[in-house]
Amino acid sequence: MRGKLSLVMAMMVVLSMMLSACQPVQAPPQVVEKVVTQIVEKEKIVTQEVPAPAPAKKIETQIPVNVPRDQVYVIDQIFRYSVVDNFNLWVPGGPPSPTRQGLVMDSLWYLDQETGEWINSLATEKPAYNADFTEMTVKLRPGVFWSDGVEFTADDVVYTVNTLMNNPGLNWSAELKLYVKEVSNPDKYTVVFKLNESNPRFAGYFTVRYNAVYIMPKHVAEKQADLKTWTNFPPVSLGAYVAAESDPNGYWELFKLRDDWQKATPGILTGKAGPEYILSIFYGANERKAIAMARHDLDLFMDIDYEAFNAIQSSTPTARSWFKDFPWAYPNELDDRWFGCNFTIPPYDNKDVRWALTLALNIVELQTEYIGGVTRLTQMPIPATTAIMKLYHQPMEQWFEDLAIDVGNGETFKPYDTEATKKIADWAAKQGYTVPTDPDGLRERFGMGTWKYAPDVAEKLLLKNDFKKDANGKWLLPDGSSWKISMIAAPDEVDVQRLAIGAQDQWKKFGIDVTVESLERDPYYNRQNLGDFVCTSSWNPLTVNADGDLWQGLNALHSRFFTPVGESTAGHGSNDILRFKSPELDAITDQMAKLTPDDPKVVQLGQDALKLIATNMFFIDTISFKKFITMDEYYWTGWPTSENAKRQPLYWFQGGRFSLPYVEPVKQ
Amino acid sequence: MSLFKSYVLPRLIQWLVVIFVGVTITFVIPRLMPTDPVEQTLRRVSSTTMTDPRAVEDLKNALKDMYGLQGTPVQQYLNFWSRVTRGDLGPSLGSFPTPVTTILKNALPWTVGLLLTTTLLSWLLGIFLGTLAGYYRTRAWSQVLDKVLIAIYPIPYAILALVLVIVFQYYLPIFPMVGGARGQPTFSFEYIRSVFMHSFLPALSLLIIGTAFRFIMAKALATTHLSSDYVVYAETAGLPKRKIIFGYVMANTLLPQVTDLGLSIGAMFEGALITEVIFSYPGIGYQLYTAILQADFNLILGVCLFSIVGIATAALVIDLLYPLLDPRVRYQ
Repeated sequence: MRGKLSLVMAMMVVLSMMLSACQPVQAPPQVVEKVVTQIVEKEKIVTQEVPAPAPAKKIETQIPVNVPRDQVYVIDQIFRYSVVDNFNLWVPGGPPSPTRQGLVMDSLWYLDQETGEWINSLATEKPAYNADFTEMTVKLRPGVFWSDGVEFTADDVVYTVNTLMNNPGLNWSAELKLYVKEVSNPDKYTVVFKLNESNPRFAGYFTVRYNAVYIMPKHVAEKQADLKTWTNFPPVSLGAYVAAESDPNGYWELFKLRDDWQKATPGILTGKAGPEYILSIFYGANERKAIAMARHDLDLFMDIDYEAFNAIQSSTPTARSWFKDFPWAYPNELDDRWFGCNFTIPPYDNKDVRWALTLALNIVELQTEYIGGVTRLTQMPIPATTAIMKLYHQPMEQWFEDLAIDVGNGETFKPYDTEATKKIADWAAKQGYTVPTDPDGLRERFGMGTWKYAPDVAEKLLLKNDFKKDANGKWLLPDGSSWKISMIAAPDEVDVQRLAIGAQDQWKKFGIDVTVESLERDPYYNRQNLGDFVCTSSWNPLTVNADGDLWQGLNALHSRFFTPVGESTAGHGSNDILRFKSPELDAITDQMAKLTPDDPKVVQLGQDALKLIATNMFFIDTISFKKFITMDEYYWTGWPTSENAKRQPLYWFQGGRFSLPYVEPVKQ
Repeated sequence: MSLFKSYVLPRLIQWLVVIFVGVTITFVIPRLMPTDPVEQTLRRVSSTTMTDPRAVEDLKNALKDMYGLQGTPVQQYLNFWSRVTRGDLGPSLGSFPTPVTTILKNALPWTVGLLLTTTLLSWLLGIFLGTLAGYYRTRAWSQVLDKVLIAIYPIPYAILALVLVIVFQYYLPIFPMVGGARGQPTFSFEYIRSVFMHSFLPALSLLIIGTAFRFIMAKALATTHLSSDYVVYAETAGLPKRKIIFGYVMANTLLPQVTDLGLSIGAMFEGALITEVIFSYPGIGYQLYTAILQADFNLILGVCLFSIVGIATAALVIDLLYPLLDPRVRYQ
């Protein structure tokens, strides 16, 4: 066995030498301090510097389509499509939509995920409701045409709504059936919805965050016998592009700019055309995306792990992410990371225990040593995006500073750490990064604050609840048995896995026996939804929209949708995977339901809900999402960056619909 | 007639029973998993669009209906066999409404093309080189070949494949990175060339590992035969080396190799997941993997049907070929 191992190692050395020998002569190898290899040492992720691979030679492009490279913008498709040449996005869970929905589909409104800006797309203005929100009138944009030359009108909207209502099983069918009593078009550009019940958020079904009700081409769809098996291929487009070509195995799709792109809403609203072709392509895992970008065969990708991003910076000087320098990654995706434990399993139904677990975590260390310092902190179940911080984190900071918890014996403790971002900045400076020191700069890079690391207070909270320590310093539950936690995590969400390992290390140090169970994405979701877990390292505890409206997220936690363990929360429309019930939270949600999303009281109620969640420590929130969305500016430029933050860079949310027109060829 | 009754017929019946039992087990096992295709779809829908929890029950029932999951498991089982006999494997539940047959039709040719070619080539190369190296085991070239292939064989396949990717797609970027071919299928030189270029690295990786394995096996088998009386006698009688190596030694080591070839070809319907993932090459392995994760009952059954039939048929063919290859079986 030892001989075998030596043999393998010898072979690897030889292969490494071969690799070195293969480096291009004209581009000498660089030793770059930023290339990092992850190794696991004593169950903690540490970093080790290794020589960077040399840049790849510039070669003729090998993209799989016969289109001049300077006419095609190549976007990471994120995953391989299993449904090919099918644009029937009205079928649930069928045809995928990380790019194509923005290129060929359209809806009435959009909400930009970076700015929170409301965009009137097929509609010309915001929805007009009657006094009791039982009627919604929509004014449509004239001058919009389908790609086959037929004008888009109110007929298409009315047809879409009626068709979806009459075809159970299609996307949005059940919701429209629930709410719509009647839909009509008094004229060519006006649609009136009469609703079965008051709903101030009915427009939400036609407002794209990621997806929304896409309008069907009536003149095409009405000729189909079965809308569930209709492939809608080639699609008659309501976007700026039409489908041109595709790989039968789902690796790529090519879209061509419409000749009449000025008659689709991206062209109408921006006055710009954008690239002649868009190629969405799935290269595979991170290392393959990094290689593709180094070959200049990929212009834009969704995300990559920290180490691979650093390798790209070395191999591809024309590549960059949101920030030009540390922490590089895009910080404004509307989601965050958290730990949570199952409320149906004692002792996690005990608020003191949840607080103890929180205070036994060193969240600053998690953010730096385990995540590389490249994201913002958040102490709430909403992310610290630039827009959301202004609505929640900043106005609520004083409340958090004043928050005190009872730790027993009449003693209280203030758990909020206002110095956390400074600690991260100090850590980053020690790594050699240039970081701002002013409050605005710190907030932009690292968020605002987090929970203190206070294991001594955590101990008091546990002792208060009859926990004990054994001779080895390990915690015992009140019944005398040793305290063991099994935590599930999905390794393909890299930060979730790293945070889980970090929590495992820190809680072990505190005296709790923790194991991490790494699961594939689908079984992981399944276990969460069924309540088949003790603790989870997770994300998306509370859906928040870019305008700060928390209603949808809170409603999915409402106790009327409470799902017993063993039944799937997905089957009940609930997001309460932890299985808690809070009548106070329900009451806030019910009040919010009566208001339109832009009512100022919505944010006020949202703040009340967040205070309640924090006080009860339902979720142990740690960091915001970050995405190493990366663009290679070798052929193309103009994709949104921190210096050009007018639109969202998250192309998968709305297919890059209103960002792509600004992409321009680089003059070389 | 008596040979058919005593030898062929029992094996044909066994073949049918294996397929029936295998498919039945494959039908049952996914349904015992806690994963449910309807719940999976509901989760995917609610993660990308605004949904109302009150509407979920309606959608759930509609999806069950669309996916053909209404009714008892027994009814579903009978429906399944009735569909299979008509050549219909139903819609993929993870890629609804694409028929399973369409997915298989898109994926299988790539798997069969890649694995059939590499299996046959590595089998021929491995046996040829292994037998020669076994016979001439004291020669320098034999020892070098032996050491090189024995050194390659323990390298984990994924590492070897990654090295090929790094060398030939990054440092020497001469091979394309994704898919099975460039553009749409045509009978043009350009398309055939692109198929070759796309499949070269995955094929090379499989060929290296497959050849190393078969080389070691063939060499070991050949070595055991060298001291056999018939080889010693042939050498003493001064028969040509070529005759001894290929006519006697190789022929006598062929039986286990034929079994290996048959089972390898039968198993190729399972696909080559790691190859497909590392080289972003199309094939059935990735489809099966995704189907299992998504609880896509119909696609799992579709892939397994091919795999079970493939392996059972390969075993049947080997069984039927044995009497032709080995007189001892014929005499029995």
